[in-house]
Parts: sequence; C-alpha cells; structure tokens
Amino acid sequence: MMWSRKSAMLGSLAIAMYLLGLTLRNSQLVTIAVVIFVFLTWAALFGGHADVAATGRRADEWSGEEGAALNSVSAMRKLSSARIFEDGELNITLRMQNHSSLAKILEVRDRVPEVMRIKDGANYILMELGPRRETFIEYTVECPLRGFYSVGPVAVRIQDPFGLFHKEKELHVYNDFLVFPKMEDLKETFVKSRVPKIFTGAVNIRQPGPGSEFYSLREYFEGDSFRAINWSAYARSGKLMVNERERDAVSDIIIIVDSRSVAETGPVSRNALVYSTRAAASLAKYFLGRRDSVGVIVYGDEVVSVDRDTGKKQLYVILTKLAGAVARGNIPLQVVVNRILPHINKGSPIIFLSNLEDDPTIVNALRDFRARNFDVTVLTPSSLEFEFDARRIDRTGYEVMKTERDVLISELRGLGVNIMDWEPDMLLSTALAGARGF
Amino acid sequence: MTVSRPSNDTAHLYDGKTVRSAAPSRKKIAGQIGSGTDIPKDAIPDVEIPSFIESLLGGPLVPKTKFLPPAKMVQNLQLGVYGILVALALLTYMISPAEGTIWYMITGSLGVATILQLILIAGATGTGFWGTFQRDGRFTLASNLMFILAILRFASSKVTLSNDLLGLQDKPFLLSALVVIYAVLLIMYFELTNGVLRYSMLDTSIRTNEVYVMNPQKIVGKYHRSLLINPIIATLLATVVLSANTILPFFVGILSKDTALRMEESVELISVYGVALGTFFVFCVVGGLFALNLPTHLQSFREKRADGN
Repeated sequence: MMWSRKSAMLGSLAIAMYLLGLTLRNSQLVTIAVVIFVFLTWAALFGGHADVAATGRRADEWSGEEGAALNSVSAMRKLSSARIFEDGELNITLRMQNHSSLAKILEVRDRVPEVMRIKDGANYILMELGPRRETFIEYTVECPLRGFYSVGPVAVRIQDPFGLFHKEKELHVYNDFLVFPKMEDLKETFVKSRVPKIFTGAVNIRQPGPGSEFYSLREYFEGDSFRAINWSAYARSGKLMVNERERDAVSDIIIIVDSRSVAETGPVSRNALVYSTRAAASLAKYFLGRRDSVGVIVYGDEVVSVDRDTGKKQLYVILTKLAGAVARGNIPLQVVVNRILPHINKGSPIIFLSNLEDDPTIVNALRDFRARNFDVTVLTPSSLEFEFDARRIDRTGYEVMKTERDVLISELRGLGVNIMDWEPDMLLSTALAGARGF
Repeated sequence: MTVSRPSNDTAHLYDGKTVRSAAPSRKKIAGQIGSGTDIPKDAIPDVEIPSFIESLLGGPLVPKTKFLPPAKMVQNLQLGVYGILVALALLTYMISPAEGTIWYMITGSLGVATILQLILIAGATGTGFWGTFQRDGRFTLASNLMFILAILRFASSKVTLSNDLLGLQDKPFLLSALVVIYAVLLIMYFELTNGVLRYSMLDTSIRTNEVYVMNPQKIVGKYHRSLLINPIIATLLATVVLSANTILPFFVGILSKDTALRMEESVELISVYGVALGTFFVFCVVGGLFALNLPTHLQSFREKRADGN
C-alpha cells in the first residue's frame, strides 16, 4: 500500500488529536481522531483498489496472488512508423487489457520522451476498464528533434476515490523509433568534382567531354561534329566555333559533420549540430539523387564514418548515423583529416559542417585538404548567433567573439576554402550558394 | 552570463591582443570578459514538483495555472461544501463552549473568550466559503486549521455543550452521536474542499486535453457513492468504537454480572480514557489485520470469486 501525502497527513493529524485529547482530557479530540482512523481504515480496506499490502514491496516484484488487481492489467503498444523525419507525426495506439473479472478504475500514463509534443489525443487517461475488457488509446505525438527515442513504460495507478491510498505499477512495454533529421529540397549545390571517374553519371566535373551542359566555346577542328557548331557565335566572330559540353561523371562526395560537445552550444532546437545534421541529410539526399557516391564522417568523442556508396539504402544508412549523432567529446579536426586522407579520392568535393569553435587545428587540417587539391566547402552555423538570440551572451561578448570568428573565416577563405557563415534564418541552398561565391 | 565592463566601445578589448587563427574556447573568452560559468537558466528544464502543502491540499497552494470556470460536478461539490460548512459551524459552536479554551485561559473572562471563540468559528467559516468559492487552497487550509483550533480545549473528559437547544446534555448516547457527526462533518469538509481542488484540476486538464477521461460519469459516480457511503460507515464504526463503555461490560457480563455492573458505572470507562482504551483495542485488531496482509487476501478472494462466476 502506498500512502498519499493526504492520507499521511490525516493519519498524523489523527494520532496528534488522539494524544492531545488524552493530554487535555478532551473527548471531542479523541472522537475526531477515531473517526479519522475509521475513515482511513475503510478507505484502505474497501476503497476500490483493495489490493494494498502491508509488506511495502514494489508492485512489479509481486507475483502470484499478491497484487492481484494490477497483475491482471496488461498493455501493448503499436506505432504508426518506426522511422520518421523531424517535425513528423507518430500515431501511437496503446491497448490496455483487463484480464480480471472485476472492473477497475485506472489512471494510465504512457511515457513519451520529453521533447515530444502531444498533438492529438492524450497519453494520460483516466478510465474504467470493465471485466475482461480491453480498450484502445490513440494519440499523436509530434517529433521536433532527431534522435533515437523510446516510448514507455506504461505507468498504471489504482487509487481509492478520495486519493488516500494508491498502488502504482510500471508495465515495461517499450517501443523504439528513430527520428531522422529533416531535409531541405536542394535544386543546386554548386559542388562539382574535378576528378572524372570511370562511370559517366549525372555530375559535371568541370572538364570538357560528353555531357549535357554547356561548358565553353572553342574553334572548330577537323573531325568535330557539325551538330556542335554554334552558328550564332560563327555569325558574330566570322570563325567556326563549336560548343563544348561539360563532362558528366559520378563523384565521390565526403560530408564531415562536427559532433563535438561544443557543437551543441545554444538552445536545444537551434544549435550548430541540429543545423549540421539537417544540412548533411539534405546534401546526402541531393547527391545520392544525382547518383553520386556519398560518404559521411561524424566526429565527436570518436570518428564514425559511413563508407561511400550510392543508392537509397545508403541514404537511410546515413540518416540513421545522423539521427544518432550525439554532441560528445572534443576530437580535433586534424585527427579526422589524418585518418581519412588516405582513403578518399584526390580532388573529391569535401563538405565540412562545423561551428569552427574550440579547435585550434581547423586551419591546418583544412590546409592539408587544400594542399591535396580537394574542393573544400565549409558551412559554419554560428553558435554565437544562436546564443545571442537566446540572450545568453551580451552584446560586448558577442562582438568580441564575432570578430575572432570573422578573422578565422577570412583566413580559411584565403586558403581557397569555400566558406559561408551560416546564419540561423538562412536556407541551406542560400548558404551553399554563398559559400560557392554565387 | 554577465559582463563586468558594460560599454559600447569595444576598442579597448583589442589592445595588445593577438589574433588567433582558431576560434577561442568559450571558457577562455568567458574568463577574459569577466563572465560567470553558471549554467544558463534556460538550459535547465522546469520540473514542477508539488510542495508538501500542495500535495496535502490536492492542488497548488497558489494556483499557477488558472482553473477554467467550474464544471457542474465542481459546482455541486462547492454547494456540498457550503452546506457542510454551515452545519459544521453550528456544531462547532455547540460542542466547543468557551470554558476551557485557550482564550479563556489567557483572558480569564468568559465573555471575551466567547467572543474570540465565535470570531474564530466565523473566521473559519468565512475563509472556508471564500476559499471554496475562489478555489484557493490557502483559504481552505486556513479554514481547516481554524476549525481544529476551535475545538482545542482544556476540558473535562465529559462532553459539554455551549448551547443545549435540543436537550442532549442528559442523553449520553445522543451526545456521543452528536460529537461523532461533528467529527464526520469535519472529515467530510476536509475531503470536499480537497475534492473541489482535485476535480477543478482534473476538469481543467480534461478541457485542455492534457488528460482524457473515458466514461467520466462512472468515475464521478463512484466518487459520489463514496461521499455517501464512507461517512455512514465511519459514523457507524466510530459509534461502535466509542461505545466501549457499553460493549465491554456486555461481554464481561457473560462471565460476571457484578463486574459488568461495576464497569458500567466506572468513571474511568465513560471518561475519555475509556474511549481511548476502546479505541486502542479496536485499532490493535485493525493493525493485526493489516499485518496479516488482509487487504491483499481480500482482493485475491474477490478476484477469484469473480473468476469463478
């Protein structure tokens, strides 16, 4: 039996009145104490739950005849999907069954992760469950943040009508689901490989060759196809000019996501890690849609990598890794670069997503990439802006740190890195265009 | 984060400063601009844990979320509280004469003590009305305490009435019954004021979709039944417990009629100590039943019987 504070208070009051009545020789006080005792006893014995035990053991430790009232209640749960995207909705159906022949009044609370919002229905239900009956409780949660989540356990409580005594039990029914980072539809990323690969594909690699997009004009040489002659240019210049097309090829794209603990600086829903994972997901989807080969590296307290591959399955592998990215540790970028450099094709586009904070090796690491002729794009969501917007830093502190950040960005730009200071309200496509100088 | 030198001109911050090629760590910058290292307040989620008093009342002492206008169920409970308050005020006045009160001991004047006692009872009633009407736990708590204070008397062990309109002073059983009814009304007042807050919270939660209640009529019906049955049972059981001076001699009379007669006429047994003795015996039995885990066995029996049907 679990006493509520109310019953404990009444019990204490009764004892106090009883003793005080004896001391003051006041029979009214003793009478009131007796009535309170009777009231409590009756509620404990016949107050609707009636399965209270004086042993003080936990409800879930009970078996057999003990705790009969709650042992006969079971729960099952069904989710509408095991994988959804951020801001998506999940329909949860909880099935409560009463195997007993007695009706029960139950308080049921299905525990959902704190970051979830109940959009429709309720996860907290007060109900009367008839004998050998079952009922379905349906509610919808909105999932605003990526991650691995679990729904459960189901907390069930039976109490007397006056709320004096209650018994609780957790039904250990859990359902896991995954929230992928949400993705932005990208029309163009302006990221192109300079290195051809064996298989032609949809990606322009900034070299003339068989392809579909215009690259440049040149003079006509013998053997050129007449269909390639640009007649307008001929009319202007008086020389036969032919169109050159940009060569298509499959590219290797490497996306590096900074998941160090400093990446989570800022509010829970607006920080560099949230923006980086969303950007990585959007970029992966875009490049995989172009039949590129995409690899992802997430680093924080360890370096987690998804090997380059193509196709829809690869997208789900990447999304799963991004969903599980947790802000932890402080591995320098140089360590990551040293580890991956031998394994990536020279000249592959590299997209680095980081707030560029608290890592003195960033400049050297990116210099290493540039020295090997990698096409490096850096999108840097500014933790400063997130914190300033959340009023966690004041104007002076903001100005100082902003200046240092600008200096760092300028230095990286000087190395030939395509870099963009990604402000919180800027679309990913705009940030990418800005990074590539468009 | 606070800055020790608030100024719009930040030029001095760059004097003699080496521009580094990597973003500085937050801690370093925090040190330079004299900031604290406290965890930002908005980084800690708010967890509402009810205080002890709040949980006693069944609701918040100072309502943080405004209750929605009372539903019919809550209005009925409020009406019930008003009725009980009137009866309780009258009975409190009747069974707690000014003699023996703290006021009488302090002032030594019966008139002043009577006035103070009346003010106390009126105050308890008034705050009870207001607290119930406003659904404010502070006032109902104050009212409860004032009612308890009103019956704290250094009295003789016999019940005395301040106003014996019904001529009960010479009828011990009816006098005991009156005190029992008073006690039951007091408990019901505690419970109903608590119920007003509890059901207001529940009703607000239902209407704001925080809680879903399936078949509310049955749940409310069960509460109503309990409000009716529990006081009756409490009255009957308490009467039995308090009638120790007649019940004990009855059983003793089977063995020895003389002893039973002596017991009946015993001053100790009809005094407060007799009542206390009877109560002690009865609750020893109840405690024993709990020690034997009777409630669980009772529940199992009920379940098995229901399964058998």
